[in-house]
Amino acid sequence: MKEGKEEIERLRLRIRELEDELVRSSGEDRFRLVVESAPNGILVANREGRIVMVNQRAEELFGYSREEFEALKIEALVPRRFREGHGELRESFHEGPSTRPMGAGRDLHAVRKDGSEFPVEIALTPLPDETDALVLASIVDITERKRAQDELRRYADELERSNEELEGFASVASHDLQEPLRKIRTMGERLLHQSRDSLDERGLDYLDRMVRAGDNMQRLIRDLLEFSRVSTRGKSFRQINLLECVEEAVSNLEVTIEERNAVVRLGELPTLDADFGQMRQLFQNLVANAVKFHRDGVEPVVEIKSVTERSESQSWAVISVKDNGIGFDERYRDRIFAIFQRLHGKGQYEGTGIGLAICKKIAERHGGVISASSRSGEGSEFLVRLPLERGSGDGE
Amino acid sequence: MKKCLLMMVDDDPDDREFVRDAFDVCGFEGEFRYVEDGVELMDYLGRRGRYRAQENCPLPDLILLDLNMPRLDGKEALSAIKSDERLRRIPIVVLSTSETPEDIARTYDLGVNSFITKPSSFTELVGIAEGVKHYWMEIVKLPETAWRGKST
Repeated sequence: MKEGKEEIERLRLRIRELEDELVRSSGEDRFRLVVESAPNGILVANREGRIVMVNQRAEELFGYSREEFEALKIEALVPRRFREGHGELRESFHEGPSTRPMGAGRDLHAVRKDGSEFPVEIALTPLPDETDALVLASIVDITERKRAQDELRRYADELERSNEELEGFASVASHDLQEPLRKIRTMGERLLHQSRDSLDERGLDYLDRMVRAGDNMQRLIRDLLEFSRVSTRGKSFRQINLLECVEEAVSNLEVTIEERNAVVRLGELPTLDADFGQMRQLFQNLVANAVKFHRDGVEPVVEIKSVTERSESQSWAVISVKDNGIGFDERYRDRIFAIFQRLHGKGQYEGTGIGLAICKKIAERHGGVISASSRSGEGSEFLVRLPLERGSGDGE
Repeated sequence: MKKCLLMMVDDDPDDREFVRDAFDVCGFEGEFRYVEDGVELMDYLGRRGRYRAQENCPLPDLILLDLNMPRLDGKEALSAIKSDERLRRIPIVVLSTSETPEDIARTYDLGVNSFITKPSSFTELVGIAEGVKHYWMEIVKLPETAWRGKST
């Protein structure tokens, strides 16, 4: 009876052992399944750096078979130039094991069986085990991503170079265009003064129109030069008081403002990182426009004020320049910022149509945007959004 | 009194004519000479090359200097003159199409006496000629020099 009980007890223990083993082994199987199905190459190494487990993707990545892997230490997969220090790094990982990316911020490379290298990203995860400190390394081949990044960077560089070339071209072309034009204008002017009496009325009229066309071309070239200089002659950014800057812009327009009996009201304006000269030019152009396009019989009133807008990553100063002038048809709200675009006949209002194009270019150079809204006959409002913190923009 | 000698250095014949005419219009009574580039200017001032054997090469009282010229450009000529003890006191006025801050800063560093950007109309050019004549030939006192002293 007693023996029978002992026998049962022994069997019960044996069954529990078998159950445990079953659970453990099916857990291992499940683990293996996860490892095998992972899209990354996976290597498990022990504390000595021996490779104890790999998945199929790792075989494909490195070109070793499972058996070959198990005869290797992890260092065999590290480029020769980094091999020496790797053992120490491995040791230090085991002192404070945690899941983390390997070599954060560095370009990592791995070596295939045939000795070729490829760029990788590696995540390390400790796998505590009662007998050994195992580490699971999950490896992604980033050759394609790198190539795409390089391509993108090359494309961006090329774009920047071609932009610079274009700006250089505009500046050189307009400078060289001025030479012959200067002569045409000078001789036209001299002809008009010296040979006035020997020309008939028609001849004089032609000459007069020729000289005026020359003057107009001179203005266009000068404006084109000025436009191209926004990026080529820009100064670096520093903290500026926008109120001072706008006050200076307004005082530069004193004569026009007085002539038109215009009133310019300045509200609160922020301090921000910018090129003072360009900001002054931006607001000078906007105020000059506001005063120029006034309604007949209505004294121009221009209001400039700023509000702060916060998005998650950035604070913006949104500066409004609002007038009570003739306004414009909102269909043209984008066209007015294009170079040499004018909405009015030349007889009505002076100008080449460069002012707002320059404003736009300056705003963009500061990492900002400019927009306009209006209803014809009810004045217009220009909004300049500028980043309050240093960030985008090429003024660094 | 000795006639004032104005030396223009410019490779552009039209510009030379405009400037001479502008000085005529504003009543300049001195002598107007020109050379075509920096090399010719240095030859004239040093009586070398085609000026070696020439009589009557007095040093100018004022030089109007273009910047962009073949062979020896305005800045190089300016630098050569301002580092030559015999020539450094001759007033030099740049008259160029350039208005770049770099050119302006560089030429003043090299010791230019004034920098003028060529205007785009004849009327303005006459105004400039008047200003130059009035300032450099009537207002300012210039150091006595061997050449100026001798021929007075």
